This record gives sequence, C-alpha cells and structure tokens, in this order.
Amino acid sequence: MQRTGGTSWALRAVAGAHLVAIAGQPVFAGVYLSGDYDGLRLHATGADVVTSLGYVQLIAAIVVWVRLRRAWPFFATTAVAAAETVQYFAGLDGALWLHLPLGVLTVAGLVVLVVALWRRPLEDVDA
Amino acid sequence: MRDLSRRQVLRLGGAFGLLTGTAALSTAAALSRRPAVTGAELRSAVPLPPPFQVPLPLPRVLRPVSPGHYEITQRVAEAEILPGIRTPLWTYDGTFPGPTIESRRGRPITVTHRNELPVPTVVHLHGGRTPADSDGYPTDLVLPAGWTAEHHAMPDPRAVRTHLTRSYTFPLDQRPALLWYHDHRMDFTAPAIWRGLAGLHIVRDDAEEALGLPSGPRELPLLITDRAFAADGSLDYPSVDGNLRARPGVRESFLGGVLGDVILVNGAPWPVHEVDAARYRLRILNASNARHYELEAVADDGRRLPLVQIGADQGLLDAPVTHAALPIGPAERYDVVVDFAGVPVGGRVRLLNRLGSGRTAEVMAFRVARRARDDSRVPAVLSTDLPSWDRPVRVRDFSFRAGQLDHGRGWLIDGRPFDPSRTDVTVSLGDVEVWRLVADVHHPVHLHLAGFRVLSRGGRPPLPHDAGLKDTVSLRPGEAAEIITRFDGYRGRYLFHCHNAEHEDMGMMANLEIT
Repeated sequence: MQRTGGTSWALRAVAGAHLVAIAGQPVFAGVYLSGDYDGLRLHATGADVVTSLGYVQLIAAIVVWVRLRRAWPFFATTAVAAAETVQYFAGLDGALWLHLPLGVLTVAGLVVLVVALWRRPLEDVDA
Repeated sequence: MRDLSRRQVLRLGGAFGLLTGTAALSTAAALSRRPAVTGAELRSAVPLPPPFQVPLPLPRVLRPVSPGHYEITQRVAEAEILPGIRTPLWTYDGTFPGPTIESRRGRPITVTHRNELPVPTVVHLHGGRTPADSDGYPTDLVLPAGWTAEHHAMPDPRAVRTHLTRSYTFPLDQRPALLWYHDHRMDFTAPAIWRGLAGLHIVRDDAEEALGLPSGPRELPLLITDRAFAADGSLDYPSVDGNLRARPGVRESFLGGVLGDVILVNGAPWPVHEVDAARYRLRILNASNARHYELEAVADDGRRLPLVQIGADQGLLDAPVTHAALPIGPAERYDVVVDFAGVPVGGRVRLLNRLGSGRTAEVMAFRVARRARDDSRVPAVLSTDLPSWDRPVRVRDFSFRAGQLDHGRGWLIDGRPFDPSRTDVTVSLGDVEVWRLVADVHHPVHLHLAGFRVLSRGGRPPLPHDAGLKDTVSLRPGEAAEIITRFDGYRGRYLFHCHNAEHEDMGMMANLEIT
C-alpha cells in the first residue's frame, strides 16, 4: 500500500467538505417549508456553496487524473457536478418533481464517491 | 469467490447507480403533474357541449331599492347552464353569477340580504375596505327560517347571528376596483360558492373614468369558474354531508381542492362573445374554488395578442404592464386591455388556459364581427395614488402547509387550524408590517381589509404580474413571497386565509385583530 500524496489528500478534503455542505441542503429546505423564511436564504446560499465545491472538486479530480493517472474520480465528479447544476436550476424554476428526487440521488451518489475516495489511497494499483 | 477489485466495485456501483437514478427520475417525470396542480378533478357525468357556441352572458346590474340601498334574496333557483340540462343552484337573486353592484368611491351603500336557502349564510365583500361588523366574519351567520341544526364544533362568543336578514354597510372609501361578494360561512364556504353564491361588485370614480379606457359595451366582466355536473344535471361536489348542514369537509382525495372539468365564464360553458375590431377592457376574476389558470389570447393564426394589464386586485396600476400570458389564482383579479384591431373580421380569438389539459385548456372565445371606430386609449400613466410603504414596524413569517386537524387531515397556518376564538395576530391601527408567506403547495393567500404590495417572490424580485396593489397573492409549491401593507381603515376582528376554498374550509384561516 502506498502513502497517500498531497494531490489525493486535496481531492479527499474537497470531496469531504462537499459532502458536509450537501447534507445541509435538505435540512435548510425543511426549515424553509416549516415557515421560516430565512431557511430559503440558507438553502439558496447552500446551493451556491455546494455547486461551487462541486466545480472545485472537478478541478482536483483533473489534477488527480493528470498526476496519478486515475480517471474514475474525474468521471464520477463530473456526474455529480452535472447533477448539481441541473438541481440548481430545477430549484430556481420551482420544478419540485425533479428537484426532490434528484437531490436525494445526488446526495447518495456523493456519499458513494466520498467512501470510494477515502477507502483506499488513490495511488494503490488496482488488483 | 475472489474479492472484487475497486475498479469492478466502481463499475458495478456506477451501473447500479445510473440505473436507479434513471428509473427514479423517469418515474418522477411520469407520475408528477407538470405543471404542478393542487387539487383533484371531478368528471362530469353528462355530455359536455362543444366550445364557443353559447353566448357570453353579462350579469345584470342590480338596481337600488332606494338611493344607496340594495336588496338581495338568497334562494334556490334552476338554470340551464349546459344546453338542455336543468341545474339547481344556490343563488343571489336567482342567477349565477349574482347581480353586479355598481358603486362609486366614497359613497356608502347598504345591502340587505335575505336568506331563503336551507342553510345559514354570511356575505363577505372580497377586496372591500369594510368595517368588521359588515365584513362577513364566518360565524356572523344569517340563519334561515326554522333552522334547528346546530354546528357546535367551535363556539364563538363574539359571533353576531341574525335571523332571516342582515344589512351589510360598505363605506367604499377605497380605490376603484373590481370586487366580488361571496358566501363565507365557516366550514362550508367552498360548497356554497360552488353551488352559485358569488357575484361582482365594481367600484368606480371620476379619475378612472377620465382616463379614456374602453368602456360601456367594451368593458366586459369575466367571472371564471370550473364546475362538474352529475348525471341528474346538478352540480357535482364531493361533500361529506350533501345537505351542508352539520358535517364539513370533502372526500379525502379532494383535500387538495376540488376542480371541475367544465369551464364557465359568467356562468356559461366555454362561451363566445361578438366584439368590434377594437380595444376591450376585460375585468377578469378567477372565482374558482381551487383551479389556477394561465391565460393567453390566441388568434386563428396562432398569434398571441398582448394582454395589457392596467389593474390588479385593488385597482389601477401606476403604468400598464404587457404580458404574453397571465397567471391567475383563485380570487385574484386582473384588469386587462386586449386590442382586437389587428384581427380580421370573422376571425376568432380564443382565451386559453396554459395550465389546463383537454377541455380545461380552453376558456372562451371572441369573434370579431365588424370594424369600428375606437376612441379609447391606454394612457402611459394610469394612477399616481398607489401607496408605497417603508419602515415596517414588524416582520412576521407564516407557513401555509398540510397537517393534522382534530379529525383527519387538513390545512394549517403556522401549524394551527382555524379557531374563531383564538387571536392569531394583533396589529395596531396604522402599523406597517412585512409578512413573509411560505407555501408547501399552491396557496392563494388573501388578507381581509388591507391591500398589500408584493416585495419579493422566492427571495427574488416580484414577477411582472405582481404589480400594483393586491389583496390575494398566489403562491406556487415551495414558493415564498414577502408582502408589505399598512393596516388602516377600521379596528376589529378580521381574517387572513388561503383562498383555495377547500383549504379555507379545512382549517387554513387565521384571525387578525386590529386594535
């Protein structure tokens, strides 16, 4: 097993922060629908933060691909970032039929991705 | 079995995730209503007439019995709404819609209502700046002759009940506007309006008449409702208690609201109206219990005529706003000018509903019958008296959502169902407040007494159709709005509530005490 280098740590850290941020989104949505208008602002700010972290994670994943020759984090992050972008505009449009299930799926996908990133060092050669 | 490599796990996980995701999203797309609709639709059991055959009726204007004094008898009547079918109705003076009251700003009138219906009633003038004792509080009932049944669910010590008649006094110290009067009996408002208890009330003044807007036969009130018909020709409605005497409420699948499959304008199904090739002023009211519309005027060649909005719930805007399509929630009004000058003689302009499907996507039609002179105009400045308030003394949040009542499910404001004996909000006369309203599904929120302005929607600037002074703001699912108003006029007990009439009957009202 190899030591995990700086490039990997950067991606792991961003993905971890990303997961923490996205976990706040359903919480703020619930606060908002309980009638607390400020919940809407938290949910909107949360959307900005989550989507931005998604793009930062995409950059980190590109660096991982280039330096460590590991492509899968990039493709997985692209899928999450794409889902988050759709999610952002579905929310702004009030398309709740899409916004709710896509939100659940995005959180689930990101959880799987973070677990995969943290389980074993990216530098490991696959069996 | 050998351990799966990470690559294999990822591939498997990826494939499984993709499959689940695609399945979930396509199921969501297939099952969801797009656009969203709150309520369930009744299907008529009689054959429905083709559209654009029945002429548009214009409600008769009520003549005063003496200057400033009107009388209306609430009674059962029959009408031929669908050709060849007799439909029993509850009416104001024998017709649906009831007779229109024409009044002047600042000239008080008294309307004496006589209740000859089988149940108690109470009249509310929607949009009126009315003292509390004439505002039609839901327990201020007019009992019919021989009324014995008692609806004891919620005692209200402040209720003022009368027998057979009641006189309502309206000072009408307010901006000229299209108002409407309707029944507001506690727990039974929705079925009473559905059976026909609604009519128009127009307030006018000299300043508005001097503008040169289309008038006379070129000013058309359009009261839009949806209804459904049972096999015997009566209006179908999913009441728990068909006599509307004791047990309120509707069958469970209709908790979201009752929608009909027949669109009536001024009480006629998908009517047609002959017009000159000129400007018309359409004074549109959505008097439906739960149905939302998004109206557009479409010519035969598919061209959409601009809808030039000149007024909102509470009268003229400061300047016209042009729309291609205009969303209208229950109890909202829009004052709109449409110019038929560009339509060839013999051509047709259909008023369509973009939120409808099948027959409910059509509302009515105009047939351009002749060229004609048009001296009307739409001035760039319509009014200069719109209030603009700042420095609110208080900001309040309210949630409008589904929830549990004592008996079954219903609708709540801030987690509580309506109780006439509880004061929910107390404000001082003259206070300016900002209210932030949050909705779970569609909720058209209405304030009695006070007109308001919309400050924002969903944290963003208001939409073009939010312009002007309103008394009902239509929230879409998950949407929030900030409104600002000044509580002036009169002290006393008033209401604010959701104007989805089924929601309002099932708890979604609250008391506003002005001290």
